[in-house]
Amino acid sequence: MSAHQQGTELDLSWISKIQVNKPAVLRRAEQIQARRPVKKEWQAAWLLKAVTCIDLTTLSGDDTASNIQRLCYKAKYPIREDLLKALNMHDKGITTAAVCVYPARVCDAVKALKAAGCDIPVASVATGFPAGQTHLKTRLEEIRLAVEDGATEIDVVINRTLVLTGQWKGSDFIKTSTGKETVNATFPVAIVMLRAIRDFFWKTGNKVGFKPAGGIRSAKDSLVWLSLIKEELGDEWMKPELFRIGASTLLADIERQIYHHVTGRYAAYHDLPMS
Amino acid sequence: MAATRTASRACEIFTTLEYGPAPESHACALAWLDTQDRHLGHYVNGQWLKPEHRSSVPCQDPITGENLASCLQAQSEDVAAAVEAARASLENWSTQPGAFRAQHLTRLAKAIQKHQRLLWTLESLVTGRAVREVRDRDVPLAQQLLQYHAVQAHTQEEALAGWEPMGVVGLILPPTFPFLDMMWRICPALAVGCTVVVLVPPATPTPLLLAQLAGELAPFPGILNVISGPDSLGPVLAAQPGVQKVAFCGATEEGRALRRTLAGWGPELGLALAAESLLLLTEVADVDSAVEGIVDAAWSDRSPGGLRLLIQEAVWDETMRRLQERMGRLRCGRGLDGAVDMGARGAAARDLAQRYVREAQSQGAQVFQAGSVPSDSPFFPPTLVSDLPPASPCAQAEVPWPLVVASPFRTVKEALAVANGTPRGGSASVWSERLGQALELAYGLQVGTVWINAHGLRDPAVPTGGCKESGSSWHGGQDGLYEYLRPSGTPAWIPYLSKTLNYDAFGLALPSTLPAGPETGPAPPYGLFVGGRFQAPGARSSRPIRDSQGSLHGYVAEGGAKDIRGAVEAAHQAAPGWMSQSPAARAALLWALAAALQRREPNLVSRLERHGVELKVAKVEVELSVKRLRAWGARVQAQGCALQVAELRGPVLQLREPLGVLAIVCPDEWPLLAFVSLLAPALVHGNTVVLVPSGACPIPALEVCQEMATLLPAGLVNVVTGDQDHLTRCLALHQDIQALWYFGSAQGSQFVEWASAGNLKLVWVNRGCPRAWDQEAEGAGPELGRRAARTKALWLPMGD
Repeated sequence: MSAHQQGTELDLSWISKIQVNKPAVLRRAEQIQARRPVKKEWQAAWLLKAVTCIDLTTLSGDDTASNIQRLCYKAKYPIREDLLKALNMHDKGITTAAVCVYPARVCDAVKALKAAGCDIPVASVATGFPAGQTHLKTRLEEIRLAVEDGATEIDVVINRTLVLTGQWKGSDFIKTSTGKETVNATFPVAIVMLRAIRDFFWKTGNKVGFKPAGGIRSAKDSLVWLSLIKEELGDEWMKPELFRIGASTLLADIERQIYHHVTGRYAAYHDLPMS
Repeated sequence: MAATRTASRACEIFTTLEYGPAPESHACALAWLDTQDRHLGHYVNGQWLKPEHRSSVPCQDPITGENLASCLQAQSEDVAAAVEAARASLENWSTQPGAFRAQHLTRLAKAIQKHQRLLWTLESLVTGRAVREVRDRDVPLAQQLLQYHAVQAHTQEEALAGWEPMGVVGLILPPTFPFLDMMWRICPALAVGCTVVVLVPPATPTPLLLAQLAGELAPFPGILNVISGPDSLGPVLAAQPGVQKVAFCGATEEGRALRRTLAGWGPELGLALAAESLLLLTEVADVDSAVEGIVDAAWSDRSPGGLRLLIQEAVWDETMRRLQERMGRLRCGRGLDGAVDMGARGAAARDLAQRYVREAQSQGAQVFQAGSVPSDSPFFPPTLVSDLPPASPCAQAEVPWPLVVASPFRTVKEALAVANGTPRGGSASVWSERLGQALELAYGLQVGTVWINAHGLRDPAVPTGGCKESGSSWHGGQDGLYEYLRPSGTPAWIPYLSKTLNYDAFGLALPSTLPAGPETGPAPPYGLFVGGRFQAPGARSSRPIRDSQGSLHGYVAEGGAKDIRGAVEAAHQAAPGWMSQSPAARAALLWALAAALQRREPNLVSRLERHGVELKVAKVEVELSVKRLRAWGARVQAQGCALQVAELRGPVLQLREPLGVLAIVCPDEWPLLAFVSLLAPALVHGNTVVLVPSGACPIPALEVCQEMATLLPAGLVNVVTGDQDHLTRCLALHQDIQALWYFGSAQGSQFVEWASAGNLKLVWVNRGCPRAWDQEAEGAGPELGRRAARTKALWLPMGD
């Protein structure tokens, strides 16, 4: 995320004019999962693309330096080297898009990544994650501290009180949810958000990024997410600058699928390094 | 080597992020064709029929042109053999308990489930349609259809008491149709106890496979027979002795021709014509979802036809931009590829689309085409036509697959006028987030199915059909069952064809009538009852009506073509007001008329007596007439219902709507009772009526008119006396009459059937056979109510 949104005047009439028909959106969400199967080498290539869009995430209360280090190493080497070689993709710098941690672990992540010798950005959730129900003052301070520690991307929990009362704010990226809700990234919600991103782009020329987070666990899911982006927004959004998947266990399943694609066998758990 | 190539490919795809092929293996389809040595015959009476000395046509992969098999073309003898097989098994099948037939249908559903891969690959391979659509939609729906109809069969004895299966059903299918079209029709037919002969165009193996699956379920091999042959065999099948019902789906002109050919042949004819659909997009719609609706309707291999798209002016630009953007993402390709939206449908469909596009362009239209379409192929790209001048020929013509013709509208009122301004009335969807507006449009559209904020949803429990020239046959739901039923005790239809009947001359000339002396007794009311009052006939002449002694009873006005025209106009003017009356208000009016008839009893009885009716019988006739009016008034309250169907949150409203202007030619028997028995159901269902009373004894009807003049709104009922054949001719050829019930001679019935092809109006003819109007079943049975209104299915998905 190099450039930031310049922003536009807040025009609430855009929002009030939007019509969303829920049953129709649900139907579209169902269709999108069945209409664009991606197979064979296309699948392998798409899965690698998905890897480069992952914000490899750990957001646990018991995170420590050691598992952050393991996570960062996995971010740098997401797919076993020999598998990438078989696909002739070993020299394409396939890494995850970022690692995503709590503010208190940003230091550990920056250090681990530096040790691994790579420039993968560190994203930090901030501002009273996941509820966002803290004072503006501490929220801002939290961001400042995370940036000081070396975080280059901040996942801000918006103040949903303001949203529910109709007071919206702009953003570079929009995210489906914190990943900690009872319902997280679903296709119908994503469709509505992606259409809003497209409309905003048409109106202002600004490209807002999109990040589904929570519950994306299978390689197949990641393919559907990619095709959803391709169908609703187009190819230019299918890159880490504009699309991220917030996930922790997804990478393991993608690696397994690539293993199967390359070797023709299904991997055992111990065949692939853990993150 | 292979590994390296794969590897380099992955690298390239990583950059382009293109879609790759996702082919579905069709090995099992080919293996099945191999079981027939790639030589398909017909499937009759549980076995393959491969007669010698028949020509055959190749069955080709529509995309590669590869020869898959050769298919025998049937001749008349083969058709006869198939009908014979169906006839032979009819007795046994129709007399089985419904519960037994239900089990048999369930077994067929299971057989389909077990072999579904074969079914979907074969269907996609030979039709070129996207396999996704066949696999994820058609095949599950086929099973649901069998299950739904199994349930209907199970409850038949109770739920459909008083009705019996028609007999052998002939089903004629068009060249490009999904096998599902066949399932929609054979399921209800088999469920109620009919047996079926299906005539499919050459080189369509899927119906044969289905027949084989059904045939292998002993012990009823002959209930489903499939023969393939040219469409010229359609009339041959329809005219086979024993065929009681012909269901035809296909092009409008072919349907019209079949209607004319079959006039007088006997079987009931159910037409399902034209495949065009309509989508109405208002300014308060979720435009993106509506665009997906357009894709569903036109570019996802779901519907066989094209789409007429009406967009409210305020959102025209926005919709066009989104639609064109979306079109760019559509993918055409081999149907067996799981990732394509649209397959190919063969040269004929492509040429039709090409011709329409060329003509539209020459008439000034803008054409936009997009999507990823293989160039070296029989594909036709998704096409959007706009700016077509409203009066140009293309704007009137049916839109072919895979075209969308867009035009703007300003107000809801205008949208309805434009949408209803075509002779077709199949299905439509309305996109609006405003409930009141959506319902206003849905009720106002003259079509068989309306979806609100969705397009193309189907369910076995929901009747699907059309109105106007889209034909009047139904499939699915209760209406679908009644297509193959008739009231118990109805004699089998036999041909009543008169080969010498000259359609050009029938009823053309008006016999001249001369004065026959002075009237004796009280003079009957004189004039044509049109627009609420008695009027002089346009011909300014009168015909004498004689009593049973042969002496003059009175003069009645001699109605003609102009009087019919006036009567139909008056009826149309009265229609909106009458339609909007509540059922209770309609019932109240009928009851008032009943009371008036009762008051007039002595008068009516004496009129009947003069025509030779015994006093006792005449009294019964008047009494029954009063009873009919009351009974129908009471019945009208229970109309329409809401259905709950799978995969839809929200109801489907099943409405019963009036047909429009209904013309009725009354029989000579029971001159008063028949008149009232026909009039009452027509009125309570909201129709406005033009009646021709009994030719021999019109005076009791005119007496009733005197009461109607004071009780009913002007134009609601119009009664035209005169020469029956002449008036029948005028009515049958009138393009703006929506239905015609004819109770007269065999020749008249034949003429009515022939002439109705003009606007494909609904006809009900008595084939020259008198009816027992005094009996409850024939005089006031549910059949009349079913014929007096049409169904509309209104889908209302819900969600916040």
